[in-house]
Amino acid sequence: MTSGKSWAEQVDLVDEGLPPPSEEFDEKKGVKTVTEYKHNDDGKLVKVVRTFKIETMRLSKSIARRKMWKKFGAAAPDPPGPNPSNTIVSEEVFMQFVQNKEQPAVEEEDPLAKLKNQKIVQCRICKGDHWTTKCPYKDTLQPLQEKLEEGTKKPEIAPPSTTPAPKTTGKYIPPVMREGANKGRGESMSTQRKDEAATIRVTNLSEDTRESDLQELFRPFGPISRIYLAKDKTTGQSKGFAFINFHRREDAARAISGVSGFGYDHLILNVEWAKPSTQQQ
Amino acid sequence: MKPIMLHGHERSITQIKYNREGDLIFSSAKDPQPNVWYSLNGERLGSFVGHNGAVWCIDCTWDSTKVLTGAADNTCKIWDCETGSQLNSLETRTAVRTNGFSYSGNLVMYSTDKTMGFPCEIHMFDIRDGSQIESGNPYLTIPIDTSMSKITSAIWGPGEDFILTGHENGEINQFDIKTGTRIKGCKDHTKQINDIQPYKDNSMFITASKDNTARLFDMETLEPLKMYKTERPINSAAISPLHDHVVMGGGQEAMQVTTTSTRVGKFDARFFHLVFEEEFGRVKGHFGPINSVAFHPDGKSYSSGGEDGYVRVHYFDPNYLDFSCEY
Repeated sequence: MTSGKSWAEQVDLVDEGLPPPSEEFDEKKGVKTVTEYKHNDDGKLVKVVRTFKIETMRLSKSIARRKMWKKFGAAAPDPPGPNPSNTIVSEEVFMQFVQNKEQPAVEEEDPLAKLKNQKIVQCRICKGDHWTTKCPYKDTLQPLQEKLEEGTKKPEIAPPSTTPAPKTTGKYIPPVMREGANKGRGESMSTQRKDEAATIRVTNLSEDTRESDLQELFRPFGPISRIYLAKDKTTGQSKGFAFINFHRREDAARAISGVSGFGYDHLILNVEWAKPSTQQQ
Repeated sequence: MKPIMLHGHERSITQIKYNREGDLIFSSAKDPQPNVWYSLNGERLGSFVGHNGAVWCIDCTWDSTKVLTGAADNTCKIWDCETGSQLNSLETRTAVRTNGFSYSGNLVMYSTDKTMGFPCEIHMFDIRDGSQIESGNPYLTIPIDTSMSKITSAIWGPGEDFILTGHENGEINQFDIKTGTRIKGCKDHTKQINDIQPYKDNSMFITASKDNTARLFDMETLEPLKMYKTERPINSAAISPLHDHVVMGGGQEAMQVTTTSTRVGKFDARFFHLVFEEEFGRVKGHFGPINSVAFHPDGKSYSSGGEDGYVRVHYFDPNYLDFSCEY
């Protein structure tokens, strides 16, 4: 840093055949344009255009006098004006304003508080905004509804148990396709299928969701037998979907109607019946 | 804002200072050439050639005619600011750690390190008396006895009455400049005091300490007024002459820098409110800890010098100048 110029520039000065540097000054705008030519590392001719904004300031005499001082020391060979090798205008930076007032406390709102405005509890009897057991019309309406339900419930439960009618032909049928193939796989499989009837699939969950959050969200609809939250093996973060097994199918149905489309953690939940895994296979 | 980067040093910056009118910035670094720059456009006015070691401190007189530098080559030199020529060189026995011109510019103070069996001392010269300068005999020497730790930062008090010193163990002391006796002291900091800077009217001063805090003290009584707490050692702190703001620069120690990432290193300049002791803003930019910060005397710009060897001159955006804390 003795001469203020890097060795590369000094070599360039010896070079001949360079167009002379020029300077233009636009007095109206106060913009000075300096054009220089030099060879770059690959030996190609490079045109360097620098623009300066010239501002006129009124300053005290002493500052003005100092402005006229000659450069000295390592800066002595520098031409007037900033030397680009020493003075660099860097990228724009902004002051980041930080507010560490009690804002986080507001954000830590209970997710269930948001639920309060929405209808998650619906009476089965009068469709009111309360638990069924606390329904004021329990005594009058319930017996009536039970009668109605008995009529509708049966066909709903029935389909999974009824299998297609057996075909009796002389053809060979592989064991998997034979009658009762689905039933005969053992006790555990059949119980799982029973569960699937009351299983709902929740998608579009946020990554921060935990099983306890789901527990909190779905417990109001009825007893839950199992919650499965899909997690990434390595990071342990939620993959964004979960299965929830209710003990009763109607609880699951109410959960679907209650929570589907519900905003949770800035995402809109999508809740539907889980497709039985046996069908996909 | 678009900071102007001043690249005139090959090693880390040790101290930067504006002159009284704010048109010049003086910078000293661990290389032997201190520089002086025009603050307005970042143009280098010159460099002071003659030192042989790291320059620890730099100061200039109120009228910007003389510059004082203290270096690890055991000299404290006085320069002519206009021509860059060396006027005097004061030999010492150990490295010069801190120095300063008095309010009038007639008195010079510097402190030396406690190394090589020599004690830490404050030396005072009257530069009007040629015999003192030529013989190198100060008119007053204040030895810091071994019970006290060495001086790591020092400034002149107001009105040339006393010198304010910050010590390695966190002590702050006032020394009378006529008798050399200790007037009073306090020990609010628990670790080394890296920097002391006065408020514009000299009624109070701010200290930057390795114990992660900066504190505001009353100049006369040394009564602690405010404390600004961070989670990293503070190398330098300055009080805005325009707003009730404080800027602080720091970061972890230079020896630990290579083992942490820039994001963890926390190398940004931090702005605190002077009264509420609350942080309200940060400015990023340096690639290492900030070693020295200084406010322009008009309060509309500030500069910081870092371990990365750059001085960055920032002219504030209107959003800072219009900013006011809610209360």
